[in-house]
Amino acid sequence: MIYLDNGATSLHKPQAVSRAVNWAMHRCANPGRGGHSAAMLAAQKVYDCRERAAEMFDCQPEQVVFTHNCTHGLNIAMHSLIKPGSRVAITGFEHNAVTRPLYARKVETVVAGRKLFDWENTLEEFEQALKSGVSAAVFTHCSNVFGYILPVEEMASLCRSYRVPFIIDAAQSAGVLPVKLGALGADFIAMPGHKGLLGPAGTGILLCGSTPKPLIQGGTGSNSRQQDMPDELPDMLEAGTLNVPGIAGLEQGLKWLQKNGIDKVFQQERGAAELCARELKRLGYRVFSGEHQSGTVSFVDKKDCEILAQKLGNRGVAVRSGLHCAPLAHQSAGTLETGTVRLSFGHDATSKQAQEFLQILQTVK
Amino acid sequence: MKFCYITFRSVTFSQKGEGILRRAGIPGSVQRTPRWMEEQGCGYSLRIRQTDAPKAVALLRQAGVPYRKIYLQRETGALEEMDL
Repeated sequence: MIYLDNGATSLHKPQAVSRAVNWAMHRCANPGRGGHSAAMLAAQKVYDCRERAAEMFDCQPEQVVFTHNCTHGLNIAMHSLIKPGSRVAITGFEHNAVTRPLYARKVETVVAGRKLFDWENTLEEFEQALKSGVSAAVFTHCSNVFGYILPVEEMASLCRSYRVPFIIDAAQSAGVLPVKLGALGADFIAMPGHKGLLGPAGTGILLCGSTPKPLIQGGTGSNSRQQDMPDELPDMLEAGTLNVPGIAGLEQGLKWLQKNGIDKVFQQERGAAELCARELKRLGYRVFSGEHQSGTVSFVDKKDCEILAQKLGNRGVAVRSGLHCAPLAHQSAGTLETGTVRLSFGHDATSKQAQEFLQILQTVK
Repeated sequence: MKFCYITFRSVTFSQKGEGILRRAGIPGSVQRTPRWMEEQGCGYSLRIRQTDAPKAVALLRQAGVPYRKIYLQRETGALEEMDL
């Protein structure tokens, strides 16, 4: 299979990931719940991952909170920071993981920056939104549909200048681009464990730069007589049993990235995506590409994008089509009615993979 | 050899403390806090050599690791909460 759906999840993980999952399933008990060797081994595995993530994302180990996925982390962050009925700045490229929780809170959103690959427009409109009086900002680091890498460092700096607390959705950037909690000064950064970080599904990380509010309550293995949730991170956000096998696998994904380097991963993904964008244009497709783009590229076929994706799937090419859970991004790009076909390259991207895709595409037209 | 216990509210901070002390050449083990030491119920401790206690406490304070209490071993072998 030519797998080009890494924006949804990475599929071909390093072998060490599945080995670690299997090992933890058979060796690790419940972390923080006992003093016997299997419980302590589980606690050690979880802490190893916390420490490695802290090193990678420029924070302290206790600021690394394990979640079920990126959406879970974003919900905790928004629950902590955003009051119902308030005004919040977002960009024109947000995923439903951001817009739906805001909608549920009856938040008034100020949408800033609708032009793809245009940092000037994004920054200008984002600053205007901050000036207009918003109580918080939530923004993606990289569009899941178009691979547009937003100027998050500058946006974070603007938020700090206007004293607006902010949340970053790093769903598409973690493991591919530098994500630094300390340097960005974000209140929260949410990311999945199963995409660029190469961990198993059911894992995610929320980096906490501010004091959060628990979304769920329950046992933490600490302060058990007290009925309030513990006021210390990470326990205050980790009620219930952690996904230890998933976290053990995630640690191996992080280790692989540290060993191989995220810069190298980015260059490989970007190279393959650029090649596809160039050739797709030559073949007459409407292609969305530009400066500040990741290893994700979307295009529109004259026919139905779902049918094209189905045909490609039948030939062993995995791509995603439709709205990609991001109608706002499609509205911004003018593709809400058609949707797009999305190619999202992963850590194993090669130009050969891109060329094979292009060859198959020409035979299914 | 006498040992002392430094108690923490969470397993994460006891592990963080263990790592800081290990890197400074102070060996210790993370274990469940004996029930009588933890009135809030359930916690983890670091068990280290008593002679290392002053340096260990200084390192934890310097790193901002929130420990709860320190129990030192008396001549009789009994453990007693102490300030360092």
